[in-house]
Amino acid sequence: IVSSQLFPAACFRNIHCTAACLKNRAARIRVGKGDKSVTYEQAYHPHHIGHRKGWLSQHTSNLQGEDGAAERVVEDVFIRRFMYGTFHGCLADEVVIKRRGNLLVICAVMIQKLLPSKFYFLIGYTEELLSHFYKCPVKIEMQTVEEKVVYKYL
Amino acid sequence: MASSCSQALRRHVCKSCTILQMHVSFFFIFIFFSEEIVIPKKKTWSKEAVLQALASTVSRDPTASDYRLQDDPYLTPKTSSEFKLFSLSQESGKNAAKYFINTYPKYFQKDYAQPHIPCLMPETLEAQIEEVSEAALIERIHMRKVEAAVDLYDQLQQAGTPVSLDVTNQLLDLICFYGDSDPAQENVPKQRSEETEDVQDEPQTKKGRASKASDQLKAAWKENNNAERIFALLSEPNTHSYSALIRGMVKYCAYSKAFSTYTDLLNNRLKADVNTFNALITAAPEVKEKYNEKWELIVDLLKEMAEQKVKPNLLTLNAVLKALRHCGTLGKSQAFPVISEMKALSIDPSLASYNHLLNIFYKPGAPFLGQTGILQEVMNEVSGKSFTPQDPDDGICLLLQRCLLTKDIEQAYRVHELLGVGENWRLLGKDLQQNIYYARFFSLLCMMENIDVMLKWYRDLVPSVYYPSSNIMRDLLQALDTDNRLDLIPQIWKDIKQLGHANRQKLVEDLLTLMAREKQNQEVQESFAECALDIKKMYDTGDRGKVIMSWTATSLSDIISVLLAAQRRQDAWEILKLFKTHNRVPSEELLNKFLMCIMESGEVNHAVELVQISAGFCLPETPKLIQRVQQEFQLSEQQKNILSDLEIQTFNSD
Repeated sequence: IVSSQLFPAACFRNIHCTAACLKNRAARIRVGKGDKSVTYEQAYHPHHIGHRKGWLSQHTSNLQGEDGAAERVVEDVFIRRFMYGTFHGCLADEVVIKRRGNLLVICAVMIQKLLPSKFYFLIGYTEELLSHFYKCPVKIEMQTVEEKVVYKYL
Repeated sequence: MASSCSQALRRHVCKSCTILQMHVSFFFIFIFFSEEIVIPKKKTWSKEAVLQALASTVSRDPTASDYRLQDDPYLTPKTSSEFKLFSLSQESGKNAAKYFINTYPKYFQKDYAQPHIPCLMPETLEAQIEEVSEAALIERIHMRKVEAAVDLYDQLQQAGTPVSLDVTNQLLDLICFYGDSDPAQENVPKQRSEETEDVQDEPQTKKGRASKASDQLKAAWKENNNAERIFALLSEPNTHSYSALIRGMVKYCAYSKAFSTYTDLLNNRLKADVNTFNALITAAPEVKEKYNEKWELIVDLLKEMAEQKVKPNLLTLNAVLKALRHCGTLGKSQAFPVISEMKALSIDPSLASYNHLLNIFYKPGAPFLGQTGILQEVMNEVSGKSFTPQDPDDGICLLLQRCLLTKDIEQAYRVHELLGVGENWRLLGKDLQQNIYYARFFSLLCMMENIDVMLKWYRDLVPSVYYPSSNIMRDLLQALDTDNRLDLIPQIWKDIKQLGHANRQKLVEDLLTLMAREKQNQEVQESFAECALDIKKMYDTGDRGKVIMSWTATSLSDIISVLLAAQRRQDAWEILKLFKTHNRVPSEELLNKFLMCIMESGEVNHAVELVQISAGFCLPETPKLIQRVQQEFQLSEQQKNILSDLEIQTFNSD
């Protein structure tokens, strides 16, 4: 607390310090030489959410009078890291997480890198593990593509 | 906000549409689904469109695969072995997750769910209570650890602590149910326990846990095993103890012992309960030889049951019916009185009772008169009712088998309708039983119904519910033949390829014979020719040099006939050369047919080469061929010389 010495007791000025939140640089891929391929999701910047992009995580806790938003965010982060690690190298795009009532639906687009039986093994493993972890039914809806769907080159 | 949301959603839909367009060749390239998906620029909807769309979601979707699998063309199985592989790999993934959850339970203890969901908490696989006490014994019994429980019981006896009769009865139940050995754990690899396994069972257990049920049943009841020993230690065995012992003995095929134990029970002036009587009735046919002796034993048991005032239940009467199967003609006369007893006692017969009844009346090889009536009556009784599985013999497969054996398509439809009533889908059983059921259904359809009805069912059930085996595809081909719809053969061939049956020799040969039999009209013949060339690719050696199918003379001639009928002389000529490379001999009519085609085209060289090939095989019709070629073709000097040489050659060899 920095206090001014001009007047006794009554005057205080406070400094609020945070880490630098680079709001202008979050979730944006900058234009480069033209050899970097980006997907639709990556190409559009966060201010396009709601206009040209949808939401990656759908739940009701941001509505008026609902609570639990922070817990949902933490769960989402965990689920995204879990999917990224379990299906390593297979994710073609960001994972979409939808919550319907008690059910947690994880929608993922995968590259056809593994055999279908291996995909099913990982799907069974993920569903079971996450159900037991979050104590709610977890379902995975998967779609596969041959290779990453490129929207443009930056 | 809402409009921008919907716009964003529309963008997402467009994105997924582009992805979908990449998979325009939709998963089911089956015969009636080979339509391309064309997304129109603009579409107007009728007033009832929404209602129609909703209505189409109510019944089963014939284009989707099983609910357990993902809805994606890459991840959908095309053959039955793929289906099994995918569902089993999903199961093994679940087992892997369960292993981790149960090995590291501390990460899964936090309980978010209100109300509490017990099945999503980690399970304890190891017994918790370590000290030698009755509570520890109860715990091990609950966890179904047979050997640990028996050890603990012995320790308790040695320590002198009395174990209550209830707990001892539970222990006896456990041992008698599992036959004195631990039930095979599914997740943990099976540990070999030398004392309790039979020597003959060991090779089977090495193969894995596939035959665990049959392992246990084959393991016979051993002399002086733990159950008998513990039973002998009991000072005052009660009804429950005797019941456990007798049922265990009957389950593991120690029938005479079971009866002697029963006499012990009577000598001790105890009453038996209904389960004991059920077990004894099941054992009765094994103990006696002649039909009437078996029946008398059963009647005696039933009389004693009445004396001891024990009410029979469904399983009792099912056991009686099952025993009557082994009683020959006596069974037929006694079956209906049993059913009326059932009705009098207001016990509803289950599917098992009807199955046993049909088995009693439809003996293989017996005369057919008066038998069809019973199946129909049974179906009259059974239609529209919802059954719950109560007896291990409940199963709808057997009903359908009866329909198949009596070739009764009406009743088969009623059986199939029965599956749609209430809870009856549970009676279909697991995947193997389901396959058997549908295989029987399809063979009956192929035999009895005309092709349009058959194809309607085919479209509905294949491949979303059932992946036909190659035998069923052969039946289907025969049905096509009977109804003279051979033009559908190329589409069926596509399905056969997709199902993975393209390398079955018999099936492919049947297909070729059907195609080659008659000459069809132009476009059908063209499609046949394409199909034949496709089949030829199947016969070629695979990339690693392994030979899948081997050519026979008939299959080669069939392909050549099909190609010749479609005027594809060049391809036919190449296949003719395959005769030599694969050491097969062409037939006379084939060579004549070929010669006629060559005459139409007027290729003299080919004619001469044909004669040379025929001479190479030393066929008896070579001279006739030579004559025909000499008469009908304009030959050059060289060719005339070749032909006269050949003539002399064949003349000499005669």
